[in-house]
Amino acid sequence: MSDQQGRSSFDLGGLGEIANSKRVSRRQVLQGAAAVGALAALGPFASACGGDEATTSASPSAAAPKQGGHIRTAVTGGDTADILDIHATYIDSGSKTILVWDALLGWDHEAKLQMKLAESYEANADATAHTVRLKPDLTFHDGSPVTADAVVYSFQRILDPKTAALGAESLASLKPSGIKKVDDLTVTFTLEQPDAIFFEALAYYANGIVPVGFTTPDGAKGAIGTGPWKPISYDPGQQTEFEANRDYWGVGPYADKVTMIEFIDPTAKLNALLGGTVDHLADLDTAQVTVVESTTGLKLLEAKGGSWDPFTMLCDKKPFDDVRVRQAFRLIVDRPQMIEQAKGGFSWVGNDMWAPYDPGYPQDLPQRVQDLEQAKSLLKQAGYDNDLNIVLYCSTATGASDPEAAQVFAEQAKGAGVTVKVNKVDPDVYWDTGNYGSYPFAMSMWGTRNYLAQCRQTQFPTSPYYETRWKDDEWDKIYQEAVVTVDEAKRNELIGECQKIDYERGGHIIYQFGVVLDAYSDKLAGLPPDTFGSGSATRQSYNEFYFV
Amino acid sequence: MPSLLKLILRRVALGLLTLLLVSALVFAATQALPGDTATAILGKSATPERVEVLRDRLGLDQSLTAQYFTWLGGIVRGDPGDSLAATGQSVGQLLGPRVVNSAALLVAAALISIPLSILVGSLSGRFRDGLFDSSVSMGSLALAALPEFVLGILLIMLLSVQALHVFPAVSRVNPQLSIWSQMNNLWLPALTLGLACFPYIVRMLRGSMIEVFESDYVQMARLKGMRERIVLQRHALPNAIIPVIQVIALNLAWLAGGVVVVEYLFNYPGIGSALVGAVSNRDVPMIQAIVLLIAALYVVLNLTADILTILISPRLRTGLQ
Repeated sequence: MSDQQGRSSFDLGGLGEIANSKRVSRRQVLQGAAAVGALAALGPFASACGGDEATTSASPSAAAPKQGGHIRTAVTGGDTADILDIHATYIDSGSKTILVWDALLGWDHEAKLQMKLAESYEANADATAHTVRLKPDLTFHDGSPVTADAVVYSFQRILDPKTAALGAESLASLKPSGIKKVDDLTVTFTLEQPDAIFFEALAYYANGIVPVGFTTPDGAKGAIGTGPWKPISYDPGQQTEFEANRDYWGVGPYADKVTMIEFIDPTAKLNALLGGTVDHLADLDTAQVTVVESTTGLKLLEAKGGSWDPFTMLCDKKPFDDVRVRQAFRLIVDRPQMIEQAKGGFSWVGNDMWAPYDPGYPQDLPQRVQDLEQAKSLLKQAGYDNDLNIVLYCSTATGASDPEAAQVFAEQAKGAGVTVKVNKVDPDVYWDTGNYGSYPFAMSMWGTRNYLAQCRQTQFPTSPYYETRWKDDEWDKIYQEAVVTVDEAKRNELIGECQKIDYERGGHIIYQFGVVLDAYSDKLAGLPPDTFGSGSATRQSYNEFYFV
Repeated sequence: MPSLLKLILRRVALGLLTLLLVSALVFAATQALPGDTATAILGKSATPERVEVLRDRLGLDQSLTAQYFTWLGGIVRGDPGDSLAATGQSVGQLLGPRVVNSAALLVAAALISIPLSILVGSLSGRFRDGLFDSSVSMGSLALAALPEFVLGILLIMLLSVQALHVFPAVSRVNPQLSIWSQMNNLWLPALTLGLACFPYIVRMLRGSMIEVFESDYVQMARLKGMRERIVLQRHALPNAIIPVIQVIALNLAWLAGGVVVVEYLFNYPGIGSALVGAVSNRDVPMIQAIVLLIAALYVVLNLTADILTILISPRLRTGLQ
């Protein structure tokens, strides 16, 4: 009962890390993530982390939301290659598609799994058959009912190689013949291999539900979904106009219209907000925070996300094939200092384990801090005596401030007798074969994901982003068991054990998780901070915004 | 004037040859860049299967020469083809509004800078070394030294965000409406561009005027007792303006290329940002179309400047016959 190790890994492209990039490159957007959370409450975890304060709440009092108004929002974008199709091969700037379409399941603002179009979901005992029952009386924007036929058609379309859909990789263990309509509201997915976390694929926003017969829309015409907003006009790279879907199954929408305007330049984006051309700005540059704070009439929303910009160490050759060197490098980092200098303080401290919102994340492991003495001692044991020289490859391709973080690391490493030479690589070539993935010591970027799903991205030779070439037989055994364990409590225990091994001898240095900032006019309220962690502090939840 | 006509025809023919060469060069240069549209669009998520599907869809599996000549054949028939990146949309559809936007911006910038700089330049030359001339000198040197985006930011601060609130800080050009119904969006970027051109025209005209005022025929006119204003208008200015026409043509050609930095700063959807985006996506039909357009404009502007020079200058007019 082995897991589809790399084959089922899916590129949770998603609302990528577009923070402070002048020009949004397709790569940056795609390297983001989908929110993959789990069933843990955020509260106790937030205080345990000891990082920034919990997200600020947007609305001070429980004023009943007023209906009406036109929300104008500024996002980073500008690529004319965008398509308004939820099954497109790449995600569009500003993620307009999630305003229009819904998946069966999803993640709420606290990274908990939620039912969206589905009323219920369950897996059988050996995790090979997963059944979803739709909510009754749901309709598409054109009034037609949401039925099992639509679900079957949607997934067939995603699996069709001609569509080249982004979500296809997430469904690698599903064949078209495995999608069966049970009755008008029920569909069963039968997998080729057992997968206890198949719900992650059902919650992946790119696997949205479209009506039967849906094809790539012509602009906004034919862009029919179930989401809170219906597109009226679509000018890719410039702006998109939406009107409210008054029959939306979820919260709101309260406003009547949303116009999403795309900006290539962050200065222009901010000027639009300062000048009153827009009411809301998604993903503020940390450098512009003081401007917003000193302007009357503008407010700031901070959202504590789960995105991370790690250092990656290639574990299959010197020097990182020696676990002591890896442990030493992790002890070199003064995490709060790096956050302060590279992220302007807008991050919370990481502990060399990803998936902080996974219910299996071990809360009890001590927070790693800088310990140069211990680092030096470990390096000496590994045979290095102040003579370890290494090149650190970095690029703005992984994050606008990552080269700064690399410089900080180089400085901190001196204290342990390690000489680091920082090599800043052009973002256009960073992801090319022979570069990222082959650099012995480099940087990467990931969005919010649950533990097992993230592992599929990076931990196996068959993974699309095998960035540390790490291999551990003990870990492997526990992982294989976890991915077929349907019982949540048991699975979380196994996840915790895996993460403990990562903590002790993994190949990543994870020093932070990101904080996303939105800025908005005080005419707006109701903005919900979201743990998604990339591109927007609210994950484009315009349906919850209202004017005061 | 038949000989003028012959000149024009010859220049147009040479211009067409230039355009052909430019298109071939740009095509070759784009192909030399790493990656193609499929890899550019897919970026990091480019799996070999996805790239193949996309390449097939976009017709990128043909040989390079075949692609070039297909495109060339289309152009000759007046069809610039379909955009590779924005699937399903023709280049004409995508570029049309952008060209109109850039043209509107060019006209506005020209309207702001040309009359003003001619006035200031001639007065500067006429009253050289006076207070007016010295301040204009300093001012135009400062303007020439400032990069356009700094100038733009200063203007935004002054006129939009901080001091006064006359213009919108950002060109919220609604692509659903025509630019003419949204003129308010034009003025700040036009002012920025106009002021960027201003110093060159002023300095050129000033120098040219000074030279003309020292010339024999102007001395003659003055000795004849003509009023200073007539001397200025009828004798000095027509001759002084000739080198200025060339400078104006060069500035207009610069404006026509779409000043990308200003477009980014004001979020103005013109052809400059369209070209940068097209190169980023390796969208060959778009790149070719925009480059050809700009090159054609250069040719036309140069030709117009030369013809105007000939018409204004009596010496050259007779020389032609």
